[in-house]
Amino acid sequence: MSIEKISDPRQVRHWPGHMEADYIYTHGIAGERFFKEIKENGRITGTRCKHCNLVYVPPRIYCERCFEKLEEWIDVGTKGTIQTFTVAYVDIDGSKLKQPTTYAMIKINGTNGGLLHKIGEANLKDVKIGMQVEAVFKPKEEREGSVNDIKHFKPVK
Amino acid sequence: MFGKKRVAIVGAGLTLFRRNLKETGKELCYEATKMALDSAGLTLKDIDSVAFGSAPDAFDGIHMKGENMIDSAGGWRKPFSRVFVGGGTGVFTANAGWWHVASGLFDTCLVVAEEKMSSCYPHPAHAFTTIFDPIMSRPLGTTLIWIFALEMHRYMHRHGIKKEQIALVSVKNKKNALDHPCAQLGANITVEDVLNSEIMCWPVQRLDISPTSDGAAALVLASEDVAKKITDNPVWIDGVGWCIDSTYWTNRDLYYPDYVEYAARMAYRMAGIKNPPKEIDVAEPYDPFDYKELHHMEGLLLCKKGEAPKLTEEGVTQRDGDLPINPSGGLLGVGNPIAAAGLMKVCEIFWQLRGEAGKRQVPGDPRTGVAQAWGDLMQYGSVIVLRR
Repeated sequence: MSIEKISDPRQVRHWPGHMEADYIYTHGIAGERFFKEIKENGRITGTRCKHCNLVYVPPRIYCERCFEKLEEWIDVGTKGTIQTFTVAYVDIDGSKLKQPTTYAMIKINGTNGGLLHKIGEANLKDVKIGMQVEAVFKPKEEREGSVNDIKHFKPVK
Repeated sequence: MFGKKRVAIVGAGLTLFRRNLKETGKELCYEATKMALDSAGLTLKDIDSVAFGSAPDAFDGIHMKGENMIDSAGGWRKPFSRVFVGGGTGVFTANAGWWHVASGLFDTCLVVAEEKMSSCYPHPAHAFTTIFDPIMSRPLGTTLIWIFALEMHRYMHRHGIKKEQIALVSVKNKKNALDHPCAQLGANITVEDVLNSEIMCWPVQRLDISPTSDGAAALVLASEDVAKKITDNPVWIDGVGWCIDSTYWTNRDLYYPDYVEYAARMAYRMAGIKNPPKEIDVAEPYDPFDYKELHHMEGLLLCKKGEAPKLTEEGVTQRDGDLPINPSGGLLGVGNPIAAAGLMKVCEIFWQLRGEAGKRQVPGDPRTGVAQAWGDLMQYGSVIVLRR
């Protein structure tokens, strides 16, 4: 084989480039209603498939299993259970974060789905899989229809 | 037998896996493809079709890179198709090559997989950020490593697995890679080295992760009648399988890869395998992170759920153990140019079953092997069963 090992990247001739593309994403039909409920009412909602007896969070307009259209919207409350979590010490470039951040997969209680989010108002050593947490919303005037309208989830006292 | 024709692998090729190789992606494809053809004693004239695999365009930074690679993969004026299933692409490309020939459409098919991840500057982790849902996940600052960390933690929690047990996989695979002439990260390390390495996103540490790599791999496939004219030593593709789970990974329990089990069951049914741990002599499960080897051993039904760490501790998965796992050195040791890494695993099983794996050869005259890759958003499994 003719390929040599290059241990010094300076030996590699290269040109920096940019892919000139930007994107504007829509929330979608289900997403718009989901985020309006968060923004205006501080409510987390899901859609239910009565055929499969599943509650989707985040909500969808169709069931991926039976392919029925979903039209039953329900308020699923703001509490959930930590399924798993990680503590991020570095950012995407591998640089140390000033403050480690705890991210968790939170199963919303009484549903078949959940949300990824940060854990706040908790001591790191107390965060456990199986812990009950609840959503903390930003003040209404600061909400803009984003997943970050939920500030974080905090342990249920 | 499934398909109209039985399909054999008759040649394989692999480039060095390195970060920042001088060769372009096209040049890497050429090296691997030429080596595969040479090893089968064939030229491009003998090839009827090409199945090509490469992961996200964003790594190489060439949109529609399948088209860009056509000539270097031997596709000039031939039926050419690119398949893409994220990290599962490497093994799935071999599966696609199988149906090209098994269908009876073609007598021969080149299978080529390539990735040049170092083009993505400063780090390909940035290319991964756009795989996440733009509304639900990206605003949180999602990175690739912490979604793996979530899965690893769930797996550890469910079975009470310790970091020390998982680190043994990294130690084994980097050691195995010392015997691989293409390897990027062969090394003698200890469990303590892994546990003392930088914490990225707990429980994931620096030495739990495979590297960023450039590389390419290739196979030559032929139908039974043609293969027997080419070689006395064909390796048969006796089973293929693939399966995908829900994109909404917050709706699944991450402790077990159901989709790998479904893909494995499809391939085993085709190959007539009823007792995988007994009937499979050597395996190359996908190991971009050390815990993934264990996770995938369980999904491949090579052991019970939660049992893989114990087998690793007992030495069963060592190259000279009862069930050698990743004798190549895997992605942790050989490197991880995504699609090429998956196909490297199929190359390894091919060489192991032919007795051509050199210093990496597992003892006991292996006859049946399995390779597996995994990808998309922790939801996709591709599996291939090879027999001598």
